[in-house]
Amino acid sequence: MNGRVLVAIALLVLAGALVFAARPHEATADERIDQITTELRCPVCQGLSVKDSTSETARQMRDLVAQRVREGKTNAEIEAEFRTAYGDWIFLSPPLSSWSGLVWLVPVAVIAAGLGLVSARLRGPGAPAPTAPSAAQVAALRERVAREEAAEG
Amino acid sequence: MSAGDLGAAALRAALFLSLWGTGAAIYAAWRRDARALHSARIAAGIGFALVVLAALSMMFALATHDFSILYVAENNARETPLFYSVISLWAALEGSILLWTAILAGATAFIAVRGTVAIPRLATTALAVMFAMLTFFLLLITTPAADPFARLALAPDNGNGPNALLQNHPLMALHPPLLYLGYVLTSVPFAYAIASLILGEGGDRWLVATRRFALISWALLGVGIVAGAWWSYAVLGWGGYWAWDPVENAAIMPWLTSTAYLHSVMVEEKRSLLRTWNLALVVATFALTILGTFLTRSGVVNSVHSFSLSAIGPLLLGYLVAILVLSVGLLLWRSGRLRDAGPIGAPLSREAIFLFQNVLFMAATLTVLLGTLYPLVAEAISGAQLSIGGPYFDRVEIPLALALLFLMGVGPQLPWHGASRATLERQFTAPIVAAAAGAVAALVTGTTALAAVLTYALGAFVIATVVQEFARGVRARRTLHGEDGVAAFSNLLRRSGRRYGGYVVHLGIVVVALAVATSQARTVDAERTLAPGESLQVAGYTVRLDAVRAVSEPQRESIVADLVVTGNGANQDLRPALVQYPSSAQAVGSPGIGAGLRDDVYTILAAYDQRTLSWATIRMRVIPGVSWLWLGGAVVGIGAVIAGAPPPRRRVVRMPIAEVAAPAK
Repeated sequence: MNGRVLVAIALLVLAGALVFAARPHEATADERIDQITTELRCPVCQGLSVKDSTSETARQMRDLVAQRVREGKTNAEIEAEFRTAYGDWIFLSPPLSSWSGLVWLVPVAVIAAGLGLVSARLRGPGAPAPTAPSAAQVAALRERVAREEAAEG
Repeated sequence: MSAGDLGAAALRAALFLSLWGTGAAIYAAWRRDARALHSARIAAGIGFALVVLAALSMMFALATHDFSILYVAENNARETPLFYSVISLWAALEGSILLWTAILAGATAFIAVRGTVAIPRLATTALAVMFAMLTFFLLLITTPAADPFARLALAPDNGNGPNALLQNHPLMALHPPLLYLGYVLTSVPFAYAIASLILGEGGDRWLVATRRFALISWALLGVGIVAGAWWSYAVLGWGGYWAWDPVENAAIMPWLTSTAYLHSVMVEEKRSLLRTWNLALVVATFALTILGTFLTRSGVVNSVHSFSLSAIGPLLLGYLVAILVLSVGLLLWRSGRLRDAGPIGAPLSREAIFLFQNVLFMAATLTVLLGTLYPLVAEAISGAQLSIGGPYFDRVEIPLALALLFLMGVGPQLPWHGASRATLERQFTAPIVAAAAGAVAALVTGTTALAAVLTYALGAFVIATVVQEFARGVRARRTLHGEDGVAAFSNLLRRSGRRYGGYVVHLGIVVVALAVATSQARTVDAERTLAPGESLQVAGYTVRLDAVRAVSEPQRESIVADLVVTGNGANQDLRPALVQYPSSAQAVGSPGIGAGLRDDVYTILAAYDQRTLSWATIRMRVIPGVSWLWLGGAVVGIGAVIAGAPPPRRRVVRMPIAEVAAPAK
């Protein structure tokens, strides 16, 4: 098969697989409990989430989240309840709305600055244009390629 | 004389020799004085022997339970088994700094004996830098700041015993020394880089001289981090291996900058570009190892309030600031001599990919740095308490890691200077097909999270590029040298170890990435309270509780749950436990792990009936593919050994003179 056709088919399959994986779907109750408890800090541990911690406190918090999900509360409502009780500290990922939300800018800023610097170097002011090889060099290369092809059979 | 007196005396003598060596090495480099160099060499050798003697004395004191030494009384008990007594050398601050100093003294002695022969002036200047750093650490451990041999006026009958978490698993023997070796060996490229700047050398001799050290320290850090993840998995009992804990962050940061350095160094070697940048990366790597030690050893991360308790915090901070000021000052002073040889090539050239890769590694490092420091700074300034933990780091670092995985496949396939369309087609057809197959494989095996599908696709992409490179290399050797397949393969690894060892490292990283993606995407949890005879089913596995019983050992008391795991071909006894050491207030969970190449069955004893032992709450996690994480770490280590091994000497082929073709006129 033609190489380019093969690559085109492969890229289509790849895109299809990614779209399938990214398709929006309604989260089940268990998935929602996992989503919420992953974001909550276990108050008595060192940086572990409520989902991962084996402490008694974390277990009670997991049960509370499960109960709220069963009661039909939305994720936002459940999170608001924990924010009222503990403050922003209870979230392991700083909310975008607060000052600490600025930490989300760091990776973006570093990448933007880095790419800016690199692309400036890539074009390079006064970069010498690549010179074309001379006729003699081309002939020598041709000969070498022919020799190696003959050697490979 | 007791072991403690011997160790303390040895350290003081070593401090004197280190001071002498600093002066002698400076004089030798300045005046090119052979006698001064000779005396610095002797000081380095004897100094190393003395610090090792001190470390051995401490091990002896621990093994013989000499509680007149404060460190032994705090970190050892009569009941502590010999193995854990000996490795308690690195169970706490003072002993860890002693181990650190011993490794640093070893590196100093190595440079003094071997390095100064190869390139005398540069290496002698680097030796002076090493001696200066060694002097700092010897000062720490001979003053009350971190004196490991500090005495107790009245020796207690028994000591506290090591921290419960540190005497629970044999991996403690491996993980800290590996990390310390990795940390400390970054000081060798740093010392040479500083020496090169002091001497005003514009070239890259420092880099060639320390290439192997940079690789070794990088590999030790990497393997040490994986060993740490394994220890955390096997000991901490929450079924995970990485929590973006400040201690873990402190270890990953120098590894990230060091990885960036190992790649951008090739751009300097091939194209004489990025000189200032490479020096900056070496400085950053070294500074991050000191920052990591400061963060984890001063108590500053757990709470800002314990900061003033340890005198070592401010001292390490001062050391870090001094190093940064000196390095940045030298870089600015010498920047005129570090001109690059020209602009960088096209966007689709290998050097451009290395640059993009460096940008991503910088973003990854600075994110970890800021995420670790920001809560401390915010609390110190405004008193506001906030958390930056796993979810934040996952959201930022996983996309960066995926982009890096992509570049890992692209970079080695592109030629220097730029690639033509024909080259692109030749290099990337098979890998793109493999990527599609990888994505389909992820979906078929039920790994449907988007990040995991991308990891499978990119992993397959990288594996295909590596296989393609090996296949072409083997074919070329077979054609050129007439070797059979096996010989061609092993000769590739032996004779072009740097390149093909690097590919093996890439394979190991892919295995780690696949293991992380699989285990994160498909872990299943369950928790139930069981009476003996009852069982719990998760993901095709059945766990039956047979009994709950109390076990008494000299150094600890445990409650053990006897479990039997069956299903999916498994039939295994697991014994999760809650262990109570006299030194700790709380019982420590000890998980029961049934490890397998397909899944790990991870069981935790979460609670039990304290009066009659008639029930137990068992938490169970089925974690697929996690064993491949440790195996991937081993592959990375093997690849690094291949890349770092010296190539065999070239055979000199002698031909009769008649067979040598006459030069064409």
